[in-house]
Amino acid sequence: MPEYSAFEMIAFTGSRQLQDNKIVFVGTGLPIIAAMHAQLTHAPNLYMIYEAGSLAPILDIGMPLSVGDTRAGHKACFMKGLCAVFELTQRGFADYAFIGGAQIDMYGNISSTIEGNYYNKPDIRFPGSGGAGAMAANCGKTIAIMALEKRRFCKKVDFITSIGYGDGSPDYREKAGVMGAGPYRVITQQALFGFDEATRRMKLLEVKPGFTPQQIQEMIEFELIIPPDVTDMAEPTDEDLRLLRDVIDSEGYFLRRVVKK
Amino acid sequence: MLGPVSSKIKSISKVKYDEKPFEHWGLTSNEVRKITEKKDHGLYDKRMTLKDAVAKLVKDGINLGVGGFVNTRVPAAIIHEIIRKGVQNLTLSFHSNSICLEWLAGAMICYPEKVSIKRVELAWWGYELIGIAPLWRYLVQNKIVETDDYTNYGMSVRFKAGAMGIPFIPVRDHGGSDMELVNRGKMIECPFTGQNIYLLPACNPDVGIVHTTAADMYGNARIFGALCTCPEIAMASAYTIMTTDKVIPTDTIRRYPNLTEIPYVAVDAVVEQPFGCYPGACYGYYWFDMDHLRMYRGICDDFRKTGNKDGLKKYFNDYIFGCETFDDFLEKTAGYKKLRQLRELDGGQPIYTL
Repeated sequence: MPEYSAFEMIAFTGSRQLQDNKIVFVGTGLPIIAAMHAQLTHAPNLYMIYEAGSLAPILDIGMPLSVGDTRAGHKACFMKGLCAVFELTQRGFADYAFIGGAQIDMYGNISSTIEGNYYNKPDIRFPGSGGAGAMAANCGKTIAIMALEKRRFCKKVDFITSIGYGDGSPDYREKAGVMGAGPYRVITQQALFGFDEATRRMKLLEVKPGFTPQQIQEMIEFELIIPPDVTDMAEPTDEDLRLLRDVIDSEGYFLRRVVKK
Repeated sequence: MLGPVSSKIKSISKVKYDEKPFEHWGLTSNEVRKITEKKDHGLYDKRMTLKDAVAKLVKDGINLGVGGFVNTRVPAAIIHEIIRKGVQNLTLSFHSNSICLEWLAGAMICYPEKVSIKRVELAWWGYELIGIAPLWRYLVQNKIVETDDYTNYGMSVRFKAGAMGIPFIPVRDHGGSDMELVNRGKMIECPFTGQNIYLLPACNPDVGIVHTTAADMYGNARIFGALCTCPEIAMASAYTIMTTDKVIPTDTIRRYPNLTEIPYVAVDAVVEQPFGCYPGACYGYYWFDMDHLRMYRGICDDFRKTGNKDGLKKYFNDYIFGCETFDDFLEKTAGYKKLRQLRELDGGQPIYTL
């Protein structure tokens, strides 16, 4: 297999979750790359929503560097503003939310507002919900990209910004007044997670070749559901890497980023 | 009596927060209507200098609605003029924004006697790819400003409710998240379906600030590219200051009235300011200047890490207080070659100003 980076694995795995003939509401960075990769491979009729206001752009003048990038409107079918595209989600036209966050719990609740428990004077203040809270509420299914670390996969998140299955009770989302089905996939470099239908708890679906389910569990604070049929994550081929590196993120804004610890 | 009810968020939330009785952070729908009723609603020439517009409309204690989205079509020139004039006890209302807010925050940190922010109602404050917003982090972690968190849809639709002249609007998000507990929305039982539904208070700023692709002298404006929430902000605000990259004839507006995204009645000042979003982008005209955004963000991050204000003060002295107009700023920072390059980077996105 060719050598690939963590970001490339995440983008490739993200792409695999997206079906053709669907609409994905994308967040900045890897979700955009994953969706572009899907369009170039197995899902040519997959389209994106960008929250500043565009539906189904054709991104042939370059990858948008952010969801507000003017390039994200290029050759769109429809372009209005934030209200219009979020109302597409409320009406049920957006199949996937593709978001990220700082912490996630076993029910897929995600924090991207604060770290620390005191809202008015937090230990760390993040940018805030942005579109994520609304996307997780009202797109069909939520896909999240996370870094697999114990402090991020925690028993309780400090602040629920993007709703998952709440406390896991069957009517949590209904009582919350939201419309989407909820968490669907969580993508990390080392493992792919889904959610158990009966308990709504996070379960391991695939591990990166070379890892065992037990090693994944050790990087997580809460107890994972580990079914007997965990499979290996597919790895990007030379052609996938060519698309990611030379066609989609040719300037290396996201895939060649150096992560500061 | 229906509601208030709640989701099950309280059973799982870890968050502690200051509980406060509800208060309006801007005007009520009735108050903003009264102001509007007293205005002249005829067509008159609203062109003026940015200095005059800001001097006339930006007063201490106002709620300022900020248009654009992160680095796109942000009202950069207007923010500069607001900082030069000075304003105290601002409430900032916006969905997602970047350098405009970091400029205001930097001004407050260096020159508190000139600029101060009291509270912020928002969805997101940062630079996306370029990084977190250092001054936002500084202000909140030190409890210097009061905050109220919504989603991007939440803030946008609060402006929309403001634009509709209604006091609140039901939405399908926020419920079941900690925003349900900490923000000023309320869960009720829907009187028609019996299901829980979240209500958000309308947002009617005292002053809205927006930049548009093109407008006539009365304020009829066209916007190309994503509209963000600029039409709603302009319609919701008691007064709107608009910069535009190009003033166009009213005959042009009247030829295609469907292309008018903001009608003249919602606008109080029209200022032609080419590159008025710089270092932000304006679809069809110029892309954002990553170098300048990174440079200012770096200065702010140095302050956050060291507490030393020298770099920030130098930036303000060189680029804001040291400039009489936004044209001076463009000349000092970008210059012709950079602006030309940003125009090329836009890729010639199609706009229509004829």
